[in-house]
Amino acid sequence: MSGHEVTKALLLKALDAATLRHQAIASNIANANSVNYRPLRVNFEEQLGFARQALAQPGGTLTAADVAGVRARLEQEPAPRAGTAAVMIDMEMVKLSQNTLQYQALLRGVSHHGSLVTTAINEGRK
Amino acid sequence: MDYFSAFAISASGMSVEKMRLDVTALNLANVHSTRGASGQLYQPLTVISTAKPGAFAAAMTQAGNASLGAQVTEVRATLTPPRLTYEPSHPDADAKGFVAYPAINPVNEMITMMTATRAYEANVAALNAARVMAMKALDIGGN
Amino acid sequence: MNVDPVGFLPPLTEVAGLQAADAGNNVGTSDFASWLAKEIGSVNDKITGSDQLLQKLATGQVDNLHQVMIALDEAKMSFQMLVQVRNKLLEAYQDVIRMSV
Repeated sequence: MSGHEVTKALLLKALDAATLRHQAIASNIANANSVNYRPLRVNFEEQLGFARQALAQPGGTLTAADVAGVRARLEQEPAPRAGTAAVMIDMEMVKLSQNTLQYQALLRGVSHHGSLVTTAINEGRK
Repeated sequence: MDYFSAFAISASGMSVEKMRLDVTALNLANVHSTRGASGQLYQPLTVISTAKPGAFAAAMTQAGNASLGAQVTEVRATLTPPRLTYEPSHPDADAKGFVAYPAINPVNEMITMMTATRAYEANVAALNAARVMAMKALDIGGN
Repeated sequence: MNVDPVGFLPPLTEVAGLQAADAGNNVGTSDFASWLAKEIGSVNDKITGSDQLLQKLATGQVDNLHQVMIALDEAKMSFQMLVQVRNKLLEAYQDVIRMSV
């Protein structure tokens, strides 16, 4: 895969992760007062450890192999201590805002990717 | 990944908190009720809510995340001993002149009401965020 | 009557500076090709740079979002500018070709 296709594939996976994360946060908020509830979280960025190191170097880009096996998945956090609330609503609201912003930024990135090719096809005509 | 499951999760949370609020209002309305519909004393109710069953297992297999969310498992009548006050002239007074009122603590009910309201507002915020994200996705390829 | 010529105004020196700058921009045909290649290279660098920033955004490593958005915008604008330059060059070439000798 070319560099552009790797970026597009990674962006789509990150969008999937953000959608799944929203569902995890929504579930946590819906179960804010539920008994015996274990909060949900999404494992995605942790799978990209090697990729992040590669990107941290100047001029480093990712290859298809870095991106291939990465997939967002749901995880349950450990059960809370007895007597404490499992879900902290204020922290969930912060995570909600952050995730929404990340999702919109990724959408803008995907849109930008497509528009470059569109410009080349249109030869600059609107 | 569809957006309807995100809406369904927040909607389930909102209905749970609405039920909790309704039950709290019912308890507060019956603070001075000596007799219920069946002739027995009114027992204060609490709402027990849990996560939807099998939610996590289904979500792991990506079989549709609409099974995430909350549900009301039980509306339980708490078995607290009634509050007795001495009113011999009351029609419901027993042989010794005591009237039994439901043991509802208004402070607890107010706290439950505030918690339910905050959780309801948080669920509404999650629903709005899902809607904003869906609308933005429609704009891909705009410019 | 005798009118004295205006002598207290110093001669204009800025024009000399403009002429020096103009001489620098006066490129011949061989310099234009290398200039165009350099510009294409820089647009390509901007696009790959924006690609790398997008990958950083996807992996969650971005410190400030505006840096990414500005880089995206810059890459897109410079690419559009390059396309317009290419269009104008083509137009000029076609004009020259259509000239009847």
